[in-house]
Amino acid sequence: MSGNVGESSIGAIPEIARITLRQLLGRRRTLLLVLLATLPVLLAVAFRAAGETAVQPFTRRVFDTISITILLPLVAILFGSGAFGAEIDDGTIVYLLAKPLSRWAVVAGKALSAMAVAILLTVGSTALAGIIDLVPAGNDGVLATEAQALAMVVGSVCYVSLFLALSLFTRRALVIGVGYMLVWEGALSFILPGIANLSIRQYALGAAEAIYRLPLQEARLSADTAFVLAGVLVAASLAVATWRLMRFELPGGGD
Amino acid sequence: MTAPLAPEASGPTTGAPAAPSAIELVHAARWYGNVVAVNDVSFTLGAGVTGLLGPNGAGKTTLLHMLAGFLAPSAGAVRVLGRTPHRDPSVYRQIGLVPEREAVYPFLTGLEYVRFNARLQGLRNADGAARAAIVRVGLEDAMDRPTGTYSKGMRQRVKVAGSLVHDPQVLLLDEPFNGMDPRQRIAMMDLLGQLAEAGRTILFSSHVLEEVERVGTEILVMVAGRLAASGDYRAIRALMTDRPHTITLRSSDDRRLATALMRDPAVFAVELAEAGLSVQTAQLGAFRRLVAGASRSAGVRLFEVVSADESLESVFDYLVRR
Repeated sequence: MSGNVGESSIGAIPEIARITLRQLLGRRRTLLLVLLATLPVLLAVAFRAAGETAVQPFTRRVFDTISITILLPLVAILFGSGAFGAEIDDGTIVYLLAKPLSRWAVVAGKALSAMAVAILLTVGSTALAGIIDLVPAGNDGVLATEAQALAMVVGSVCYVSLFLALSLFTRRALVIGVGYMLVWEGALSFILPGIANLSIRQYALGAAEAIYRLPLQEARLSADTAFVLAGVLVAASLAVATWRLMRFELPGGGD
Repeated sequence: MTAPLAPEASGPTTGAPAAPSAIELVHAARWYGNVVAVNDVSFTLGAGVTGLLGPNGAGKTTLLHMLAGFLAPSAGAVRVLGRTPHRDPSVYRQIGLVPEREAVYPFLTGLEYVRFNARLQGLRNADGAARAAIVRVGLEDAMDRPTGTYSKGMRQRVKVAGSLVHDPQVLLLDEPFNGMDPRQRIAMMDLLGQLAEAGRTILFSSHVLEEVERVGTEILVMVAGRLAASGDYRAIRALMTDRPHTITLRSSDDRRLATALMRDPAVFAVELAEAGLSVQTAQLGAFRRLVAGASRSAGVRLFEVVSADESLESVFDYLVRR
């Protein structure tokens, strides 16, 4: 790759991020994800109305059952795999690649926008639900809310990075992502605790430990280990995505 | 453009010696598994406009994608402005590409789309460059509308505007006239002609021969992945010595003229019809000299001499079908 495209590449990152944001937010599926993100908030309202403001019941029944198990992976996988996937499908990727830009800048623009939307939805949902039901419980509630929000940030960044990279190798990144979510993190992680080192869910829960020990009895990684593994995953995923994009080929077409 | 080649020739050609080649392929090939899409193609192109012709599956898009750096050649070399475009994004400062697929970001207005291209090119005055490019393709009345509301022809034009916003030296267009109405086509052809006159190298693929014929005379003909011919199609036609030229004549006495012409060995066949006299010859130049003398000696006045198969269509038909 030529080295003299660096300056314009950095300037192009916000442009690429902006257009990716408009792409991601303009889809119908985003509306469905927003509806899904409101579910924990509505449940927080119900818990509050029922006088259930302790940390444990809400964390187990809402955060564990919905927010980190369904909302986080679904939102982040959809945005991560969709950041490049849609452009590859409709051919508009060529307008990004036929430019004097380093490929890492294209990946950075795409990843930043997908991460931003995923964080906005998952952290927004978790923080709002926590403010409604947990913060009134006192200091533990505040810390639990902050810890859950941090888990969402770490999880969003990891899922987006991994599935953004995967979408450059296969058009089935979304299907693989849902399979990973259900089989690997859903079933196998309970049967084989050792795979915690290869589970984004565990990175997210482990990261939360840096703020507060959530009453889930499931976090199998220390905060330090979780941050290191999450960092390695994100760096490796984005590096692989850049490598792949440098070798990206357009088919010859029907003729 | 290159000097004309005989059909089937595919060796590198020699253009004007002083002008460096903007595009150069040297024994370039590209295959997918066992399928050979482009096979041992060599040519050079300098400034000017060249039509890339060929039936479906001939390898036109593969060739354009190799030139645009989106496909590595499986063998041989591809160079644009002296550089290998594959994995060298900096070459896009000098290349504009209009892909065949018509998708454009539907949520962007025409102006936003072209400005987006200008910004990714790192242009200082992206807005000014975008507006100028929009004017060049005649879309100023629709530039504030989302491209999702554009007709197919308008989307083609905004793609062209996006590809030339940075004033590239080389413009590659894959079926650029698709979906355009006749007026838009003529305007786009005129634009390509102007860019060529300004010293740009333009290569566009098309399956509509009239389009190529109108834009210029230089062609590359791909058949089954190979370069069947390159150069001025009229010169290529002249080299097709194994295919007789058909000439239609009208005169004061077609029957007498036919008798006079039949005596010359350059004439294969003569046919009298209501429209005039149809003559087949292998040697066009010799026939032109012959017909003047024959009509004079036969005392016949010539009204019209028309070459019936000098068109690009005739050349293309010959190269593709044989």
